[in-house]
Amino acid sequence: MFQIVCLISKTVWIHFVPIPDRTEPDKRPGTALLRAAGTGSESDRARRAAEEEEEDEARVEMSESGTQLFARLEARRCLKDIEPRLFPDDGGPDHGEVVEVYGPEGTGKTELLYHLLSRCVLPEAAGGLEVDVVFVDTDYSLDMLRLVSILDTRLNKGRTTLKGLSTSPSSAGSDEAALHLCLSRLLVVHCSSSSQLLLTLHFLETTLSSRSSLALLLIDSMSAFYWSDRGEGGASISKQEEKLSKSSELLGRLLRDYRITIFATCHAIRRSNSGPSSSETDRPFLCRPWQRLVTHRLLCSRQEADPDQAGSDRGDGEQRRRRVFRVHCTSSSLSSTGTKGSRTSSFRVTDGGVEFI
Amino acid sequence: MVILREGMCPGLDEDLLRSLRAADIRTVEDLVSSDSEELAQKCSVSYKALFAIRRVLLAQHTAFPVSGADLYEELLSSTAILSTGNPSLDKLLDSGLFTGEITELSGGPGSGKSQVCFGAAVHISHHLKQSVIYIDTTGGLTASRLLQMLRSETTNTDEQMEALQRIRIVRLFDVYALLDCLYGLCGGGLQQASVGGGSVKAVIVDSVSAVIAPLLGGKQSEGMSLMTQVAGVLKTMAKDFSVAALVTNHVTRSGSGDVQPGLGVSWSHVPRTRILLERVETAPSVSRSSLRSATLIKSSRQPCCIKEEFDLRWWSGAAGGASGKRKLDQAGS
Amino acid sequence: MRRPLSSLNLGTNVKVKLGRAGFQFTSDLQHLNPEQLSQEAGVSQQEALQVLQAADTGGGGGTFLSALELLQKEEGSRSIVTFCSQLDHALGGGLPVGKTTEICGVPGIGKTQLCLQLAVDVQLPQCFGGVEGQVIFLDTEGSFLLQRVVDMSAAAVRHCSMLAEDEEQQVAMTTFTVENILSNIFLVHCRDYVELLAELHLLPAFLQERTKIRLLIIDSVTLPFLQLFDDLSQRTRLLQGLGQKLIAIATNHNIAVVITNHMTTRLRGAHSHLVPALGDIWGHAPTTRLLLEWEGSQRLASILKSPGHMETTAQYQITCEGFRDAAQSEQPQSKRSRTFTD
Repeated sequence: MFQIVCLISKTVWIHFVPIPDRTEPDKRPGTALLRAAGTGSESDRARRAAEEEEEDEARVEMSESGTQLFARLEARRCLKDIEPRLFPDDGGPDHGEVVEVYGPEGTGKTELLYHLLSRCVLPEAAGGLEVDVVFVDTDYSLDMLRLVSILDTRLNKGRTTLKGLSTSPSSAGSDEAALHLCLSRLLVVHCSSSSQLLLTLHFLETTLSSRSSLALLLIDSMSAFYWSDRGEGGASISKQEEKLSKSSELLGRLLRDYRITIFATCHAIRRSNSGPSSSETDRPFLCRPWQRLVTHRLLCSRQEADPDQAGSDRGDGEQRRRRVFRVHCTSSSLSSTGTKGSRTSSFRVTDGGVEFI
Repeated sequence: MVILREGMCPGLDEDLLRSLRAADIRTVEDLVSSDSEELAQKCSVSYKALFAIRRVLLAQHTAFPVSGADLYEELLSSTAILSTGNPSLDKLLDSGLFTGEITELSGGPGSGKSQVCFGAAVHISHHLKQSVIYIDTTGGLTASRLLQMLRSETTNTDEQMEALQRIRIVRLFDVYALLDCLYGLCGGGLQQASVGGGSVKAVIVDSVSAVIAPLLGGKQSEGMSLMTQVAGVLKTMAKDFSVAALVTNHVTRSGSGDVQPGLGVSWSHVPRTRILLERVETAPSVSRSSLRSATLIKSSRQPCCIKEEFDLRWWSGAAGGASGKRKLDQAGS
Repeated sequence: MRRPLSSLNLGTNVKVKLGRAGFQFTSDLQHLNPEQLSQEAGVSQQEALQVLQAADTGGGGGTFLSALELLQKEEGSRSIVTFCSQLDHALGGGLPVGKTTEICGVPGIGKTQLCLQLAVDVQLPQCFGGVEGQVIFLDTEGSFLLQRVVDMSAAAVRHCSMLAEDEEQQVAMTTFTVENILSNIFLVHCRDYVELLAELHLLPAFLQERTKIRLLIIDSVTLPFLQLFDDLSQRTRLLQGLGQKLIAIATNHNIAVVITNHMTTRLRGAHSHLVPALGDIWGHAPTTRLLLEWEGSQRLASILKSPGHMETTAQYQITCEGFRDAAQSEQPQSKRSRTFTD
């Protein structure tokens, strides 16, 4: 409780700086306020978050100097090279760009997301980018066990190639430590309604401003509250979309101010009636402010299994490899003078995650 | 939208509330999204006070980020795999029902969905000594069938009775009652049900489609909204209380005659694992077999489309060697 | 966890109004009285009262009972015999009370005969092992033949008076007469699906008053819905709602629900075979499904689907007395009597 008190009083102070009537920086009302709030219903989860934040807060000085501003904006790693095999040549997602991953169930969206996620959090030695990621989980979809198994495979692969030995005697302890390090680069936040999503994004702003290593915001999925918003909004479309458009506008500001990159999934909500790639089912249905943010669109689909390959299929392990997924990427990148590019790539899913072919 | 209310947080008094309303700030979202500096001038309150209020409100209503490492630690200590008692199904499910996840069984009438649910309930309650909540929306549950299954497991009447006691049944027939029940479970019902014996490790809804499907279709989106509510509360319950949720679904036939699970595309994202149950077509004779095939159609752990055959009589017959040990998942299996 | 107001059983426009006024969770309503709420949300006071009541009672979690309690309940309830001992045996004593059962079969196989037989059998006095209940017969096809009921009743009365031994049974026989049997059958004609749905909507209130009713028969559920062939998705939806309603009636009022269904042909490749009508999704609605079919000149009844029984087949025949065991004449009298006296 005490920590929250310090933390918030400090914040009050920090933001006090630009206010002209700074002559009486009376911290007391704020503190009292916080003590009262602290006795509220916040659990230790909140405290943990607060502790973390306090640490972050310590790094933010009272006023921002030019160099710090520069650090805030430039230190974030660009994710242009996050997966060259996915995006058109030289068209990877730059600072402040949004990638939407779209597709029906069972088309490898989640696997693709885990692939990108693990690429971000893995150490450079294992082919990663070593950046921090926030995973906004609106669907309760994050399968930690699966993610860990992907990370594990890749960490092991990295190690064996590094040492040039297939049976390097690495202790289990260091394995655990490496995995732990990767996972600590990941922040997960669960949201259960669209208004909570909006408030959480506001809250995340402090996290963003203090962690310069944070470069990626993953949202799985953007469409999670579509139906409940529609139900609550009544007949008016603008009311139905109000919360999501507010969130989108906020995201737009965060993208500009903090130069992060966003990956978001969007579930298909209509069943395809006329073939796998009819335009009717692939049409975006989320609100316009969100559509305007999206610069890259990854359209996932399932490639029908090749009958020849299916014939030569053997055991269970082979079966998993057989299913091939296809991703079609269209990007209208802002940075590269508004050109449109597209690329189609295929991958299959193995125990170690996505494998491009 | 969370409406601003007096006493919601210290400093938010009646006067301030009134002036905020005058400035068209009615909800927490409005307050948080607005520019505090501008608002302070409009409402003639100190920026400091307003900012403190904003901060506290945000802390009250936001979801907090958790480090992935912590989440993983927590998951390792809380995840359990509940064997269904049937080796073929366990093989498909990668050794059983995982707590924290939704597993779906779909199939046509008489494909054995309910039987699998009964079997799993009996196995979890008898072998694993954990409580089970069974939500019956089709009126298909008969305790005598459960007893019949138990009799093949043990001849000890006391054990049978104990196992039956650990299965808690609720019968309800519309979606609102289902929502009432699920929210009730999240709000303390699960702890209550675990009094006497093991804690609740599984919640079975047989069937989820029976109450949702009548609402779908047509022009209104209310049915969809209610469906997402059911999905949301099931997922939250599974995660937060680490229980395994097992639901059943009907099937529809697409134009080309393919069988696919019901409730449409929006629901398809909900279950983590989906299994399709079908009758094994024997020769076109009149005799009906109790053989069923189970196909894995969605999974994040196993290759899809693997198929296993099993006999519904498994649970009632002499099912000796089923070892029902509770297995903790190992890291990165 | 907090419960959103949109999950409550309220009208859509009330929910929308609440949402606009900023009420999101049931916890937001905690300190409000109906007047305040109606003012803040712009709903009528009555609506506000409903909202508060729904928010208050919601989340109670339903009434849980353990499987053991349910077992004791089940053991206390009786089944309705069919007078075909083979079928009774397969069903574990007859048609279960508190469940829904569908009888499907081709025209003339004896669906209606079985229904009429059940309408008589449900009235068997308790001392003869019966349920001693009344029956509602929803007739949608005009197939309710009074003369057949009279014949079957007379046969049942005759049969019981032959079996009556002790004094209790003798006394019971004085009220178990054809007239009484007929007066305990409530017949309702429904001409289309609207009438059928309306009737079912009103039924719970009727059942509340007449607590002796133990059987509801709908003969048939198919015909009214065949009219709706132009909008299949609406038909499916209505049928699913109907199915849930029937199960709720069966469970809440502890009555047996029996419905009949036609057969239809389905093509699979080059073969065509007969399947129950109204589609696959409807198949989930009844708890037990009986199929009546011909095999040569023999009539067979088989359990297509049942959560509590193995799928078995029994032979039966339709005599002038009603629904009976096949080759009844060779059956020893004692065996048949045992099926409904024990």
